[in-house]
Parts: sequence; structure tokens; C-alpha cells
Amino acid sequence: MKETLLLTKHMREYPEDSHLIETYEKNNGYRALKKVLKEDNPEDVINEIKNSNIRGRGGAGFPTGVKWGFLAENEDRYLVINGDESEPGTFKDRILLERDPHQLIEGVIITCFASNIKKAFIYIRGEYAKPARRVQDAVKQAYEKGYLGNNILGTNFSLDVVVHLGAGAYICGEETALLNSLEGKRGEPRLKPPYFPAVMGLYNKPTLVNNVETISSVPWIVQNSGKEYSKLGVEGSTGTRIFSLSGHVNNPGNFEIEMGKSFGEFIDTFGNGIKNNKSVKAYIPGGASAPWFTGDQLDIKMTIDDVANAGSMLGSGAVVVMDEDTNLVYAAKSIVSFFAHESCGQCTPCREGTTWLEMILERIASGRGRLSDISLLIDICDNISPGLDWPPKMTTICPLGPSAVSPITSLLNNFSDEITNMIPTKIPITQ
Amino acid sequence: MTDQIKINVNGSEISSKPDQLIIEACEDSGIHIPRFCWHKRMDPVGMCRMCLVEIETPRGKALVPSCTTKVSEDLVVETESEVVKKAQEGVLEFLLINHPLDCPVCDKAGECPLQDQTMAYGPGESRFVEDKRHFEKPIPISEIILLDRERCILCARCTRFSDEISGDPLIEFIQRGNKTQVNTFPDEPFRSYFSGNTVQICPVGALTSTSYRFKARPWDLKKVSSTSNCSSVGCSIELNVSQNKMLRILGEDNEFTNQGWLSDKGRYNFEYLHSEKRIEEPLIVKNSSKKPNINEAMDLISNEILKGGDPNISFIVGHNSTNEEYFALNNFAENLKKVENTFGNIDIYLSDDYLYSGFFNGDHSLAEIKDLDSADTIVLWAQDIKDNLPTLYLRIKQAVRNGKKLLIFGHTNTAIKDIAEEYFGGDIVTNNFEFNVNISDIPNFSRHIDGKEVIAIVGKASPLQNTNPISELIQYLEANSNLKILNCFSKGNTFGALQNLNLVKGLNEFVNEFDISKRNIVFTIGANPVNNSIYSLKIKDSLVNADFVVSMDLFKNETTELSDIILPTTSLGEKEGTFTNLEMRTLMQNKILPPPGSSLNEWEYLLTLSKKINLEQVYDSETQLNALLCKDYLDEDNIPSFDNLNKPSNLNGVLNSKTININIENVDSTNLEILFVHRLYGDSSTQINSPSISMLSSERFIEMNSATYFGSYMLYSDVVTLIQGEISVQVNVNINDNLPDNLLVVPINRRGFQNINPEKKVELEVAKSREQLNVS
Amino acid sequence: MSWEKELIDKANEIIELYPEKRSALGPLLYLAQEKDGYISNDSIIQISNLVGITEVQVKSVASFYSMYKEEQTGKYLLSVCKSISCEINDSRSVIDSVKNFTGLENYETDNDKVFTFEEVECIGACGGAPAVQVNYETVEGLTPEKSLQMCEWLKEERPELVVADELQEKFGGVKSFDWAIKDNTGSSYSVPGFQNIGTAKEKNL
Ligand SMILES: Cc1cc2nc3c(=O)[nH]c(=O)nc-3n(C[C@H](O)[C@H](O)[C@H](O)COP(=O)(O)O)c2cc1C
Ligand code: SF4
Ligand code: FES
Repeated sequence: MKETLLLTKHMREYPEDSHLIETYEKNNGYRALKKVLKEDNPEDVINEIKNSNIRGRGGAGFPTGVKWGFLAENEDRYLVINGDESEPGTFKDRILLERDPHQLIEGVIITCFASNIKKAFIYIRGEYAKPARRVQDAVKQAYEKGYLGNNILGTNFSLDVVVHLGAGAYICGEETALLNSLEGKRGEPRLKPPYFPAVMGLYNKPTLVNNVETISSVPWIVQNSGKEYSKLGVEGSTGTRIFSLSGHVNNPGNFEIEMGKSFGEFIDTFGNGIKNNKSVKAYIPGGASAPWFTGDQLDIKMTIDDVANAGSMLGSGAVVVMDEDTNLVYAAKSIVSFFAHESCGQCTPCREGTTWLEMILERIASGRGRLSDISLLIDICDNISPGLDWPPKMTTICPLGPSAVSPITSLLNNFSDEITNMIPTKIPITQ
Repeated sequence: MTDQIKINVNGSEISSKPDQLIIEACEDSGIHIPRFCWHKRMDPVGMCRMCLVEIETPRGKALVPSCTTKVSEDLVVETESEVVKKAQEGVLEFLLINHPLDCPVCDKAGECPLQDQTMAYGPGESRFVEDKRHFEKPIPISEIILLDRERCILCARCTRFSDEISGDPLIEFIQRGNKTQVNTFPDEPFRSYFSGNTVQICPVGALTSTSYRFKARPWDLKKVSSTSNCSSVGCSIELNVSQNKMLRILGEDNEFTNQGWLSDKGRYNFEYLHSEKRIEEPLIVKNSSKKPNINEAMDLISNEILKGGDPNISFIVGHNSTNEEYFALNNFAENLKKVENTFGNIDIYLSDDYLYSGFFNGDHSLAEIKDLDSADTIVLWAQDIKDNLPTLYLRIKQAVRNGKKLLIFGHTNTAIKDIAEEYFGGDIVTNNFEFNVNISDIPNFSRHIDGKEVIAIVGKASPLQNTNPISELIQYLEANSNLKILNCFSKGNTFGALQNLNLVKGLNEFVNEFDISKRNIVFTIGANPVNNSIYSLKIKDSLVNADFVVSMDLFKNETTELSDIILPTTSLGEKEGTFTNLEMRTLMQNKILPPPGSSLNEWEYLLTLSKKINLEQVYDSETQLNALLCKDYLDEDNIPSFDNLNKPSNLNGVLNSKTININIENVDSTNLEILFVHRLYGDSSTQINSPSISMLSSERFIEMNSATYFGSYMLYSDVVTLIQGEISVQVNVNINDNLPDNLLVVPINRRGFQNINPEKKVELEVAKSREQLNVS
Repeated sequence: MSWEKELIDKANEIIELYPEKRSALGPLLYLAQEKDGYISNDSIIQISNLVGITEVQVKSVASFYSMYKEEQTGKYLLSVCKSISCEINDSRSVIDSVKNFTGLENYETDNDKVFTFEEVECIGACGGAPAVQVNYETVEGLTPEKSLQMCEWLKEERPELVVADELQEKFGGVKSFDWAIKDNTGSSYSVPGFQNIGTAKEKNL
């Protein structure tokens, strides 16, 4: 198994200074843009994206070409790049921002050209100070070289890009919350309908929201054609993806591969096996929101559909490996705490439910659990995500609340002993 | 689009308007879906998740909030399935885990949706064994509102109200997630004219009012619908009474008028009813403090009237009488006129500085308030709407939110400037309210007018305004657009007075017509013209010189000080009658309290007097008066009789009109440096005797723009002394840059300004000390 | 008014970047925080005037985001990650070691205003777990010992500017990915160093 380098090729080839415009230009950078501007046919660009069958890399996996097609007509339209990357386990956008900002900017310009957008925002989480600096520097260079601003490369096309810093709120990764945040409001997800960004987005104007990785793929697709791209990977999951591998592996990191190989192979090959030669007890296949797979499920294929069929999601492409010694109650508690901490607080079930789950796990972890807590945990989860199915049904506005359910059902379905063992049986149940 | 579509709810077909929310469609068909955050007058937020229902989708059944999901043809909805019930129980349990169990001491208990729904849908015993969220118990967030964050269920009703509806977002969510709480900014209390609405719409007892706190339990309350006197909008209200005490006023949702909202003045200005200072027995003031009984008092007055000497008899009447009372007064005056060779002039004056001929009969077509929702353009030239017609202000805001264009003329409506499409201030309209340019040359004007549906809300912006420019404007609008007019007299039952008095005159006329050489008998009826009017000084002179002054009132005040005799009268809730609002909608005012002491209704005094001086008597009760006055309405099928108005279908009032005669001389706009305005809160006897809101008018301030402040007056202090001859008043200066240069705005209805002569210059000096700023 | 003209000019420059003023609220809050080390009520009033919303609306937004601080922070904001990848790679012991050294509990600041300590959620350094940020400059692959040394160094050296690459070289271990060329930019207070808001600085390494 080998990496297929599309998005990370340039940074591998120029490890020292891949983020500078000179290096990027030297390595065929901005060629796709020049081609697009020369051909001057926005429709073609959208068609290439459609042909590539690329699906969004932000987590939901929505076909990008289809999304672009939804963008409503309007004098003012916006592109917003989602660089809020905060899903525990995920650090793949970070490398794209930090190491190859011009690839993203080129993608932004092409996307805006294709959709006749004159203002774009790159929203980067506030904690990504250094990546944001790199992008800001790159934007400045791009302006200086005439790739941004008025009459780009002498054409009629003009575009402004603003790099905007978030301020510590995972929920701002949810696209409508991100738009609220960018409008200077609380990062609360909006109601859908009516607030579908492509129709009513930033300032209630039609807005494309795409992930950093998605848009970073655009130059390659335009340069090499959508058809070439669609040949990579497998049907339904074309192209490459950058997977972030972390947890108990010997060699954590970001690895760009074609989709379709098994998790086991991926962990062995790139992670270089499990630390201290332990075995895998469980792993998270797509970020903290995703239900876990067990060590017995390592042969599941890394495609959007295979993972979904097995009851989880490829999500943000973050693989977190937990070895045989991991205390899964602690692990679950960590993830539940995360969602409780990051709940925006709008919906009753998410605001109250996630915190309640956290409190119960906390109690169990500190040895004060009760046997009735197990059924209580399940019932609370059921009230956030009725039926506890996958994909989750929700009593909430956005999927954050139900995300807190994933680790608990994962724990209780496959490792219920771990939790019951922590509940003291000798202590009387009444308080 | 068809008018109605069919949807299926719980197995039965119901019809619904297209585009309606499921929760509304169900509500209209009598199917109640529990909810906390949804409120029909505000944008849905879908936060509480209590209203979840199941609908059928191509991908199977889905749980959706019925408050954010619209109906569609043949939609199948389940509001009571197992899944729905489970979800609702879950939500309730979530809400209750952090809710304190302090119902026994909570004002909301007994009428609390959370409490009710816990009974109806809720889980039994709590499974929550951890610590509840704790906040400091009630904190005052303004002079009149308290906030208990532990009880709050974060429905965003108060925050949405203050942001969307009243437009003063001073209360907001702070923090996020489980720490979320509502609060105000430390140095910025929730000082809104409309804050009381948040108490009414709070679904729990998180927001409470100082006025009602711990006063009663809902099950002890007697309730009756009525109409507010607070402004000429005639807001629909519910009076809540316990043990013959008025404890609370709530807004009722009248689609045509207030849509449930009230100003805080309309809501809290009732405590005076039970004030110790209220007059309950007739009083002889001058030369004695004798307390005659009613019969003795009436004898005294009738003797004065019949004493001879051709007396002129003048009546100055206020805005809080019922139509029936105005009718009785008119009848009394007419009957006096019929007595031969006994009296001089007999005239009725409305205690009002803003009267002018208006636009009533003949060719003008009159608007209803709800027309604001369908017009293209709203033209506003009137006194400050926010202060004088607060709930109309909300309707205008709502119309603008829905895309209507608002064009404002003049300098009085600064509060609403931000949402105006065009603001024609200093460049277009001078400080004296005259046009600087031809109307047809006003930039950006005609494109909002020509051929459009236009509503003009017009009235005198200030007592001293010459009204010719308004007539010019109306002429222009009538020629160029499809115009409807909303005549803007703002006080109480002005329109009832206009409809039921044969000829209406104002205070300026009283002053001009008062003939000192004659014997004068003056009646003031629910009016205190010696205060709050720009003519106060002159009126005081007249009353001092009058031979006999009779006052009917609730309290002793500046006017009754000059009276020979005071007769105690009745107020809101103590009398039955009708009220006509500024659209000519007549609504019911119901009685729920006994009159205090020996107080009588105004018409009862007039009736007794009629008997004593042998005038014709054609009525003996409110009902008879009502029947009589109904005869003059132009639309016979739609008469505002008590019977008709008490029909369930007419609870929103009936629209009907009468011929209106106003006889007012146009005033000369002098070179105005002072713009006199009326503010919502003032020093009326009712307000200063309502403890919860009495302090709201204690601050004395004037307004000007910063250029005037720094330039013309060179003031560098926010506390200044306003000087005119002998008079000096210490005031705060509020900077308002929406005002033109060199204009001082002075609230005439605040104590201390009465004696200022509007035609003379005033000087401002930096105050030597900050004392005496607040008048108690 | 509590802000100097220079800062107001900067603020207006930022406001210019956006189609609607209110969008600048976030960046302006960072300006406020760089000035005082937290979002003071004075700054809230200033910002509410600049973007045309009420004070409590500014407060509402500021308090939503965890990077805007309500209390004054120390010169070095130590943010130790406790999310899943760090948690299972023993971030607990790093947290304990930082707590021990500084004597601080979560969200506390010492009296000398040198350190503020907080446990935070995922900072996107999962491959380099356990990870820490100092003034939002990331250090990866820490150990309890190294984190102790780092705190000591910060306390003694009191560097004006915190630079990720410098800290990583001195105290870090395994990284999420190859950071490549050495970067000498960083930040000097509890705000991310970022050109747009003028908080990024350079250091001669
Ligand atoms: C709770 C939540 C958090 C999310 N966080 C991110 C994120 O950090 N980055 C991201 O690109 N998308 C995130 N998403 C997905 C976005 O809502 C959106 O689908 C995505 O940005 C669209 O871009 P794409 O089509 O290119 O994937 C999140 C979604 C949810 C519900
Ligand atoms: S599910 Fe949670 S994060 Fe999402 S909108 Fe509701 S409260 Fe906010
Ligand atoms: S009433 Fe629908 S979510 Fe609250």
C-alpha cells in the first residue's frame, strides 16, 4: 500500500518552503488558474468538478459539484472556506493551510471564477495561529502577484479574499454556525430550512461553504480533468483523501491515499503498527463523532459507503487507534465531555443531555456509579438520538448533540463489561 | 396558489393555509402541540424541541419540530405517536433537571406552561441525582424587571422580543452550552419601553415584575377583557383583579391593534387605582376643607350655575372618558344651551395641545393599522411615535421588517430613524416644520410614492407646529399615490371625544376665548391642563380668574388646587363603556372593580346636575347612553353597542365612523428653538401614584445634537441649568445626533418644564452641582 | 473612550474588510484582548460603538467563544489538550505536571500574571499527542518532564514572543507532521499571532 500524492505532493517535493509563492509557481502553481482564465468558461469548471465525483471533505461527504450547482443566482454571492477543523483526531486541514496555502488559494480563485463570486472568506479556527499566518502571508503574496484583487491576471475577473480567525468553538465547523460566526454573531447553527447556505448563506446571500481539503483539490482536478480524478479511489469515494492517524500507533501523521483500502492495512502500513506491539481494542474511523469499530473490524474498507454500511462514518478522515490497554470508559468520557463543552446550547436535548451524560460518566469513572446508570445512559441517548440508529435520528437542530451518543453506544454495545466493572456492586444503590 | 391545502393530522384530515407552520395549522384546527420557545408573533427558533412531531417523508418517518416545519399538500403528521410522546417526555425531563423546585414561591405557578406540561406530558420522578445549575437568585435587571436565571429554560423569547419586536436588544444569551444564561450588560439595564412584555411571554417564572411579585396566585384572580387608555391605539388588555384590587394588566392578542404587546406604561400604570392619595369623597377646596356629601356638593354646583349673571360655562375634558361619558357631556352642554336667557357661551375643550383639523370626512380615505402590513410605503409626520403611540411604533417596525419602506419627515421620530428608508430632517423640513424645498423635488421621495400604496401617519409633531405643510404633503400624496391616512392624535380616547362631541376645540381655544370680563364657571373633567401643556401658564391665569371651578378627578393636582370643589370620579376597570381608537375602531372597556368611596362616573354627576337644574334627561344608565350614541354611526349594521361588542366575534372591536367637527385655529410656528415633546413617562397623577413606575419619569433631561451641544452652547457637562427669566431647571443633556442643529428638545410632561415659555429664548449653563437632578 | 486613536484606526481598517460592520466583531475582540489580556467592559463599550450593536450583544458573542477571556490572563496562556488522542496518550500527566509547577487549577491565573492555565479541547495536534499551546503556539509530543522544563524556561526567560518552532525544538517530541522550514513568527499575549489583527510578531531565532 502506497500513498497517492495529489494534494501533498508539492509539500513533499519542497519540504523547506512549499508555502512560498515562488516555490509554488516553480512547481506548476497557478497553472490551473491560468488555464481556466484563458479558456474563460465557468460552466466547464463546474462540469469538471461534477465529473470528478469528489465529495466534500468536511465530514458530510456531499458531492461538491452538486453543491456548486445549487448556488442561487444573486448579485452578491460568497465563498466561505471551512478551515475550522476541530473534530478531535483531525489535523489534515492544518497541513494544507500551513504547508501549501497557495494550493488552497488557487482553488479558491478557480471556484469563485466558476461561480462568479467576488468575495471569499477563509475561516480558520483561532487556535490555528500559525497556519492562519501562513495563509495570510500567501494571500498577501497572491495579491502582489496579481492573482487576487481587481482584474486578476489582466482579465475581467476580480476577487477579494479575507482570512478570518475563529475564536474557539468547535460548533463553528458546522457550516451555518460558521456563517453566523463570520457575521459577528454567536456560532449557533441556523435552522435548515430555510437557511441552506447555497440559497441563504452569509448575510442571507447565496453562499458556497466548502472544506479546505475539498477546495485544495480543485487545482488538480482542473489541471488533470475530472475524469482522471474519478479514476482514483473507488466509485462513490473517488480521489484521494488525507487521513489523520493518531492514538496508539508508532507513526502518527497525515497520509494521502486513494480510498478503498482497509483500515487494518492503513494502520499497519502507515502507522507502522501499534505502540509496544499491543493489539487494537477499538478505533474511531472518522473523527470523534463517529461510532467506534472494534479490533475485530479492521478489514472494513476506507470508503464513505463501506464505513456507513458498517454503522459509522468516514467523517473528517480522522482515525484514532486505541490499544488493548485503553480504558474505554475514560475514552468515552473524554469524547462526551468534548461535545458537552462544545454544545452551542440552543437545543434542550443537546445542552442538557450531553452535560448529563458527562456527569454520569464522570460519576462512574470516579467509582460512584449505580447499576441503573446504564439504562439511564441509554435512555438519555435515546432522547437525543431516537432509536439509536445509524445514521442517527435527531431531536436536535444539528448533529452535534447526537455525536455525543456515538461513544456511549459504541462502549455499551461492544464493551459493556468495561463500564459495569467500574460500578461498585457492594455500595448500596440509594444515596 | 390555492387558498387552503389539506394535511393529515393523527389520521384526520384538516385544512391549512399554504406556507403555514405545522404548529399553527394544528392550532387553528384545535390540535394543541406543546411548545415553549415558539411564539406566534416572533420568528421561530426551534430551540426547546418540545414541539417535535412525526411526519412522513420519502425516507420514512422523521421527527421534526412543528414550529419550524411548514405544511405541504397531503403532509401526514403524527402529534401523539409513541415516538413523539417519548421525545416530548425526554425534552421535559431535560428541562427539569436544572429547573428549581420552587413553584410554591414562584409568581408563575398556576399559569406556568412548564408546570402544566410536566403534569400533562412529563416524566414522573427525577432520575437526575447530580447538582443543579446554580445562579444568584433574582437579580434586578431594571427598575421594574427581575431575572431568576435558575428558572430560565432558554427559550429565547425575551431575547427575540427585545431584538426583533421592540428593537432594543438589551437582554441576551451570555456564555454557551450548558452555561448559557440570559442577562443584561452590567452598566446597561433592561430599560426598554416594552420590557414588561417579556414577563408576560416568559414561559416560566424567570422574568418577573416588581409590580406583580408575590401579589397573587392565578387561581385567585378575576379576569376581564378591556381596552387600554394608554394611547389612542386602544390596546386590548386583560384586567386581573383579586379581592377588589387590580393586580395586573396583561396584553391580549388583538390582530388589528396591539397583537398582544403593551408598553410598560400601558401595563403598569394602574397601581394608582388603589393609592391612598386617591380622592374618594367630594371636597370643597377653596376657603374650607369641608367634605360635603354628594347631594350637598351637587346643590352647591347647581346653585352656582343658577346664580345668574349670564355665566360662560366651559368644560375642559381629558382623554380618559368613555364614549358614553363624552356623549353625556355633549348632551349636558347642548341642553344648557337650550335654556333661554340664562347663560353666556357654553363650550367644550379637549385638554390637548396637538389638536388640529386632521383629515377626516369627505374625500380622505382612512387607514386601518393592519394596512401597514400591506402598504408599499409608510409616510410618517407626527409626534414621536415611540413615546406617544408605543404599540403603533411596534407595528411600524414590524411592517419595515417585512420590507415596507418608511419615510420620516421632521425631527420628532428620531428613535425610529435607523430603520427608515429616508429621513427628511433638517435639509427638507426646517426646525419650524416648514418645507425647505418643493415636495416634488424631495430627493428619493417620488420613487417611493408614485403609484404606490401609501399609508400616511400624520399629526402635529409638536404643539406649536403650523399644520399647513402637513396638508400640502397630504395633497401631494393623494394626487400621486393610493393614499390612506392614519390620523395621529395620540392620547387615550381622543377619537371617542372627536366622535361624540359636536364641536371640538383645544386648549389654545380655551385660552383665547376665555373672557375675563364675564362671570365664568369652568368644569375640568379628568383633565389637568395646569400641568403638561404649553398653555399651562395661561390656563392657570384663567382658572384663577374664574368665578367657580369644578373638577372631576381621581387625585388632587395642579388644576384641582384652583378648584372650588372636587368630585371623585372613576377610572379604568371601575366603569363600563366604549373606546374609539385612531382607526375609528370601537372597543369595550369593562368594569371589574367597584368605584372607591363615593366616587361616581362623570355621567352620573352630569345626570344629577341635570336633574337639579331641570334639564331634559334622556338616559339613566351607561347602556342607555350607549344606545343613544350608537344612533349617529354611519354604518348601521356595524354599530358599537355593548351587545354587539360583547359578542365573541367582535372582541377585536368594530370599525365605524361618525361625522367629526373640529374647530381649531392654525398656530403660527414661531422661530422655534425649543421643540416641545411628550415623553411616554411623565408626571401625570396616575403615574406618580403607581409606585412601580413612578421613578421612571424622575430623570429630567433635554436633548440636542452634539454640534449644538459643543458648538452653540459650548457645554462640557452633561448636567446643565436651563434658564428663562426667573425660572431655572437643572437637567441632564442627552446627545441625539438625529436632531438638526440648534434645536433643543424639551419634554413638556416632566415636572419642572411647565413654566417655560415656548416663545422666549432659554439659556443653558453648566450646572454648579449635580444635586436636584431627580424630582421625586 | 477607552481606546487610543491608533487602535481605533486599526479597528476601522479591519471593519473595512467586511461587507457588514458586525463581521469585524471577532477580530475587534482580539484587539481588545491584546490590549488588556481579556475582554474588558470598557472595550465592550468601545466595540459596541464601533460596530453599532448594543453592549450586551457584544458580550453575548464574546462569551460564546472560549478564546475570548473574561478575566485577565497571564503573559503565557498554557492550554493543555485533553481530547481523545491526547487523553489516551496520557495528557493527564502533562496536565498534572503543569498544574504542579504553576500551582494553578483550570482557568486560573497566578498572582504575578505570568501563567494562565487551562485544559482545552482538541487543538488539532492529535498526531503529536499529548500537545500543548502556549499563547496559541503549538508544541507537540510533550512529556511531563518536558512540559515542566518548558514552564521553567518560560518563567525564567520571560520571552516577549512565543514562537512554536522554538518551543518545539527545545521541549517538543513527536509531531503531527513535518513542520518543515523554521518559522520565527509568533504571538506575545493570549491572542493568536495573526497579521490581519496585528498581533503577529517576528523574532530573531
Ligand atoms: C458539528 C459539526 C462540525 C463540523 N465541523 C467541520 C469542520 O471543522 N470543518 C469542515 O470542513 N466541516 C465541518 N463540518 C461540516 C460542514 O458543516 C460542511 O458540511 C462542510 O464544511 C462542507 O464542506 P465540504 O462539502 O467541502 O465538505 C461540521 C459539521 C458539523 C455538523
Ligand atoms: S445540537 Fe447542540 S450544537 Fe447543534 S444546534 Fe443544538 S445545541 Fe447547538
Ligand atoms: S416550540 Fe418548536 S422547538 Fe420550541
